[in-house]
Formats: sequence, structure tokens, C-alpha cells
Amino acid sequence: MDETLLDTLRQVIDPELGINIVDMGLVYDIQREGSRVVVKMTLTTPGCPMHDSIAGGVEMALLGAEGVEEVRVELVNDPPWNPAMMSESARAQVGICW
Amino acid sequence: MTPNLNSAVLPPSLPLRFILTGVICLALGAVCLVARPDLLVEYHYNQHIIALTHLVVLGGIASIVMGAMYQLVPVALETKLFSQRLPKWHFHAHVIGFIGMVWMFWIWDMKQVGHFGSFVALGFGLFIVNLFRTLRRVPHWNVIATAVASSLVWLFLTMSAGLFLAAAKCWPISPFDPIAQLHAHAHLGILGVFVMLIVGVSYKLIPMFALSDIQNERRARWSVGLLNAGLAALVVTMLFGSAWKLAAALIIISGLALYGLEMRAMLRARKRVVLDWGVKSFVTAVAMLIPLSFLALVLCWPGLPLNEWTARLENLYGFLGIYGVVVFAIVGMLHKIIPFLVWHHTYSPHIGRRRIPALAEMYSSRVQLAAYGFYVAGLLLAGGAICAGHGALVRLGCALLAMSFALFAVNVAKILVHWFQPRLGEPIGMPKAGIPSPKPAYG
Repeated sequence: MDETLLDTLRQVIDPELGINIVDMGLVYDIQREGSRVVVKMTLTTPGCPMHDSIAGGVEMALLGAEGVEEVRVELVNDPPWNPAMMSESARAQVGICW
Repeated sequence: MTPNLNSAVLPPSLPLRFILTGVICLALGAVCLVARPDLLVEYHYNQHIIALTHLVVLGGIASIVMGAMYQLVPVALETKLFSQRLPKWHFHAHVIGFIGMVWMFWIWDMKQVGHFGSFVALGFGLFIVNLFRTLRRVPHWNVIATAVASSLVWLFLTMSAGLFLAAAKCWPISPFDPIAQLHAHAHLGILGVFVMLIVGVSYKLIPMFALSDIQNERRARWSVGLLNAGLAALVVTMLFGSAWKLAAALIIISGLALYGLEMRAMLRARKRVVLDWGVKSFVTAVAMLIPLSFLALVLCWPGLPLNEWTARLENLYGFLGIYGVVVFAIVGMLHKIIPFLVWHHTYSPHIGRRRIPALAEMYSSRVQLAAYGFYVAGLLLAGGAICAGHGALVRLGCALLAMSFALFAVNVAKILVHWFQPRLGEPIGMPKAGIPSPKPAYG
């Protein structure tokens, strides 16, 4: 995955847990083709009330990155998110046992 | 892919209007109890306690629950709200109706209670139609949708029973004992509407906030089914004064026991070790179902004499059901819902563009903890005092509850400040020319 774009997405915070979506393990894939970026991501639970906000935030953050003109966010539920996908520091910050 | 629900989400101001109306009514209810603790000591079939109960249940609990449902049911069930216009009409009919009803109960003008009750019924009708049409669009029917649908049916029956009760006070149309009718009406509302919703939303919210999963779908479905079957039997046995009331109560308690087992299993399987105080309040409220169930068994024991002692137990039962379970659970979840609504309005357009606060940073956890402590102390003291028939201690217990509501109001005010004075941090990165301006995420 494009590390520069991942760093950009670290600016997008899940407001419920206060952790950025990359360390939460919500971003499954980022593909860049020229100025077009496709993000495949999930949410902590299907039907998460924040899903519009977070997907909109991902789009906004990536449109602010150098050379990106178009962003497509695909929200998927498969595979479902689980805390094993979080970084170790994020798990420690939220107090998650795994 | 998850469907885009932008157009399904109401502007947060409308659910917030319902919720703030409810919070004001709950606070007023606590103040009334401090002023008139005798209402919880004397027998509950009197105009003032009925007026106060409708202030708390109709003005407080129902307003909050309906506001929250408009916002959260479509999102939680991954569908669209059928109509965004009906809730506006609902709000006006509801407020006019419940204020008038409470006032007319207080002066005991039952004809006017019926008139104002018709406004409430109109509002409920709009709510029920809107939510049922919304449920018809649910892509994956599950136990949560069943619980929501059940609560709507019970709401219709509660409302019909209430209007019938008011009419029966004006004309001799009812063959049933008025106290039995009142008890049936109360159980339809508290158990059928609010406890049913608490059970249903638990299967969504506990996994969401504790990072867990439903552990046994079948057990969850049975809990809702038994609750429905038991309540239907309870209402019939109450109206006909049947000794089978005990069997109906046992069916309900079996449903609640299955629910309790599933809650325990979900919490044990949680990945988030430390729960916040909103969830802890909700779980404490659910635990209050245990003493409430024991009390219910005692009170529906066949041949139980109606004397001063059992009258006090009935008051305690009502108090625990309303304040111990329903209000407590709602106050816990409001620490999740109000920050979400305000955050959604204020910060949602800025996510990914500016540094913005997390939900938990919008209020004080220390104030929340203090409010929790006062609430538990108030419940225990007032509950004990109701049993003892001690008016002064009831007043003290209710004062602790009022203190808890005051602290809750401090946190609500802290959250609402973000609506008017957003705390936006520095921009993230350098915005490029041509990026669209932030706009609200709701339709």
C-alpha cells in the first residue's frame, strides 16, 4: 500500500475510540492510478452511525494529498473487522485485550 | 458494499429537539419528587402521581427514545427513514399533547386528558407509521428489527389502552377494574415499549461499544419472543384478575433471564477491557431488572392481600421500573447519543481536514462519574425509604437523583457548546485549490 497516502489517512480519527483509522486496521487497501485513488476499507461494526462521516473524511483527506484529483471509497464488510487488525499501540491506547 | 445512507439521516437538530425536551422533563420530574416526596409514599392511584408519571414517562422517556430512534434505527438497520417530514409534525403534536395531558391529570379533568391525549396519539401514529415503513425496507431482518417492530406494536396498544382509560372515566364503557386497567396500561408501556427496546438495542449497542458480538443468536431471539408472549398473557390475566398472572410473569422473567445471560456472554467476550461510564450506567440499569423481577413475583403471587405494606411494594416496583431500569439506561446511552448528534452536526464536515475532538472529549468523565454515584445512591436511598414509608428520606433520595440530573445537565451543556462554538484544530496538510467546501453529511 502507498505509505504516503496511508500517512495522510492517519489524520482521519475514529471519533468513538479516538484512534486514527489506519492504526485501527480499518483500511484494507489503497490503489493509486495516476491522480485517481481507490480505498477499500471497513468499519468496526456494520451499520456504524459514523460511516458517512468517516468515508467523507477519507475522501477529504486524500483530496488534500499531492497529485490526487479523484477518490473512490469502497466500504466493505468482508472480512469483518476485528481488534487483531489494530496496531499494538492502538490496542494499548484503547485498552483492548487480544 | 455498504449502501450510502446520506439521504436517510435526519438533520441532528430534530432528534436533538426531542431529546432535550425529554431531558428537561426528567429534570422537572426529579424536582417535583423533591418537592412532593409524599407522592411516592401514598397509594399510587391518585391524580398527582399519575400526572408526574406521565411527565416522566411521556414527556421524558418517550421523547428521548423516539428522538433517538429516528436517528439511530435507520443507521443501525442499514436502511432509510421512510419520511423526514413526519417527525416535524410528530414533535409538535407530541409536545402540545403531553404538556396538556400532564396539566389535565394534575387538575383531574379527564375529558381534557382525552383531548390532549389525542394529540399524543396523533404524534405516536405518525411515529409508528414512519418506523414501520422504515422497517419494511430493512435488507437483513434480525432480532433487533424484531424488537423494534414489537415495541411499535406495544406502543400502539399502550396508546389505545390510555385513550380507552380516559374515555372510561367519562362514560361507563369498561367492564374492567380501573386499577387493573391502569396496571395493564403501565406494563404495556414500560415493559412492552421501553424494556423491549432496551433489550433489542443492547444486541446492537453492547457489541458496538464493547467490541464484542452476539454470542448466541437463538438465545437472543428467544428472549424477545418470551418477552412478547409473557406480556400478552400478563395484560389479559391482569384485566381478568386471573391467578395465572404469576405464570405470565414467569414467562417474562424467563425472557429477561435469557437476555441477562446473553448480556453477560457478550460482555465476557468483549475486546474492550475498560468500559466507559455511559455503558456502565446502561449495564447497571440492566442489572436492576433482577430485584425488579423478584418484586414482580412477590406482587403477582395469588391471594396477596392489598394492605399498606403491599401498596409500598407496588410503589417501589413502579419507581424501580421507571427510575432504576428505564431512565438509568437512557441516561447512560445519552452520553453516547448526544455527543454523536452534536459531533455529527459540527465536526462531521471537517473530518480529514481539521483536527477535531473525539466524542469522549466533548464532556467531562469526572462529572459523569459523579452523576453515576449520585444516581445509584439516590436510587438505593429513595427505594429503601419508599419501603419504609419514610417521606423525609424519600425526599433526600430524590434530591440525590436531582443532583445527578443537574450534573448530567452540566455535561449536556458542555456538549452543546460544541454546536455553537466548534473547537476546530489546525488544518491537516495544505488544502489544494478546487477541493469542495465542507457541507453537512445529512440530506
